[in-house]
Amino acid sequence: MHNRLKTKFLGFEVRSPLVLPAGIMDMSFSALSISTENGAGIVTSKSLTLEPRTGHKGPVVAEFEGGFLNCMGLCNPGIVDGLAEINEFKERSDTPVIVSVFATNVNDFLKLTEFVNTSKGDFLELNLSCPNVFDEFGIPLAASKDEVHKIIKAVKKISELPVIAKLSPNVYDIVSIAKAAESAGADALCMINTVGPGMLIDTKMVKPVLFNKLGGLSGPCIKPIALKLIYQTYSDVNIPIIGMGGVKCGEDAIEMMMAGASIVGVGTAIYYRGIEVFNKINNEIIEFMDENGYENLQEIPKLEKLLM
Amino acid sequence: MNKRITLKIAKIKDEIKDIKTFSFKYKLNAKPGQFIMLTDFEGGEKPFSISDCTKDEFSITIKKIGEFTSRLFQKDVGDLVSIRGAFGSSFFISNGKVLLVGGGYAVPTFYFFSKILLESGANITLINGARTKDELLFVEKFGKLGINLINTTDDGTFGEKGTSVDIARKLLVSKLQQNQLVSKPQLGDNSRFHPATAGWKRENVDKFDFIYASGPEMMMKALQGVIGEIEYEFLFERYMKCAIGICGSCTVDPLGIRLCVEGPVLPKKIVEQLTEFGKYHRDASGKRILY
Repeated sequence: MHNRLKTKFLGFEVRSPLVLPAGIMDMSFSALSISTENGAGIVTSKSLTLEPRTGHKGPVVAEFEGGFLNCMGLCNPGIVDGLAEINEFKERSDTPVIVSVFATNVNDFLKLTEFVNTSKGDFLELNLSCPNVFDEFGIPLAASKDEVHKIIKAVKKISELPVIAKLSPNVYDIVSIAKAAESAGADALCMINTVGPGMLIDTKMVKPVLFNKLGGLSGPCIKPIALKLIYQTYSDVNIPIIGMGGVKCGEDAIEMMMAGASIVGVGTAIYYRGIEVFNKINNEIIEFMDENGYENLQEIPKLEKLLM
Repeated sequence: MNKRITLKIAKIKDEIKDIKTFSFKYKLNAKPGQFIMLTDFEGGEKPFSISDCTKDEFSITIKKIGEFTSRLFQKDVGDLVSIRGAFGSSFFISNGKVLLVGGGYAVPTFYFFSKILLESGANITLINGARTKDELLFVEKFGKLGINLINTTDDGTFGEKGTSVDIARKLLVSKLQQNQLVSKPQLGDNSRFHPATAGWKRENVDKFDFIYASGPEMMMKALQGVIGEIEYEFLFERYMKCAIGICGSCTVDPLGIRLCVEGPVLPKKIVEQLTEFGKYHRDASGKRILY
């Protein structure tokens, strides 16, 4: 990996600013490994829950012109088996791992945190924002700054790992929610989770394409929303942001950084450009730095804050 | 891309008990070994191997095993279903002397494949195996292809008596070596790199250029033990969800190979590295399930 791609994130030196986000290619140790081998600097586990979940019935993905809808439904092998996969990954790789967890209340988040404390994970991500489990769990926690604050505060008291809050884009006042996360002690923000949710219809059978009817949007169509929310948030918080949403090429990643992201997630683009997408984007970032006279990632400027 | 398309069922053929072939008039342009995802939007989208594919028609052969396939079995000609695909890797098209080892309801994909192999001039021996006569598939269809067809049943109720691997062993390993194999069972079927077979002399046995297998995983694991140094490709099955290489449900350890993209057909050099082969697979939650 090129030295010019090295960056720091919460005290860790990472070899690339690219992150494999939760929910993508992360069901097993070997799935995490392949992203690392292809150039990801940090990898994230599936969002783990206390008990195993098989997720929604298919179809769970639906493609359209601007991207994808997905409603995986938080399928995961549960915290015990999920952490075993992460530990197995860490035996083979020194790439930092974000352990993502999902729950709907403080108590369950605390139980999950206790499990994660015993693992070889490097960061704890609280998924407060899954958009495709409305039927089961109602409105995501990330819609309420009070809930966000309460959960992060409680988790921070016992977590031995830095805590990252995964926020939802589907809110009117992202800044107050981000500030609530920061004031509760969050070490970083991860934004954005998928947008919507939305739906698609099969016109011949007159049925929703996704069996769950609704699914979160990802892919190129959500990049402008991600950029706007990261830009809005960046100047008002003092914790780093993992920026993601529709990043497909090096220039998209640079845009994320200019909006305020420290490191950048790449997920759906694996479909568009193959599992090699991390190395492709790494190279494109270097090309961008060459063409525009930046020596390293730290020199890439942030957008000036304007009133929105 | 592999855009979703909603199609009428053009034909339904009862094969044997609990197995039907569904045909569709659609230019799928699939390669042998590939699969489609199929849904009726009533809950569930599942991968199915392609059992035949011509210029403007394709077929899938389905076994009724659960809620989803039971629903499919109630459908009639003219009913709509929605498909995506074809997805995944395909079999290498050899023009040499090849052995196809099939077991159970994974056999029909070899019908499509045999037709393609014949076009390229291959000499085909196909072992069509099932537990018993009533479960043996495509006997007539394979028979009409003019290939060297060996039907076999575990209980001997039709064709040869023995498993597909028993027959393959007879074809691949000479009498003398078979005796050695029997006397050293610990070096046989379960050996990952099958060193036991690596140095075998191949006298008085058929010489095959390439071996293909599609069947239960434990059948393929056992077959690996008798193949020796011949090149091979196996068709694998794992739980699939997205089929486009992003969800990670069907990756196999330790390589992280995605069976929906890099598979389902995997070559020898990959299969030899798989630590989960014949040991475990993962369910819909990602939990490991031992074989």
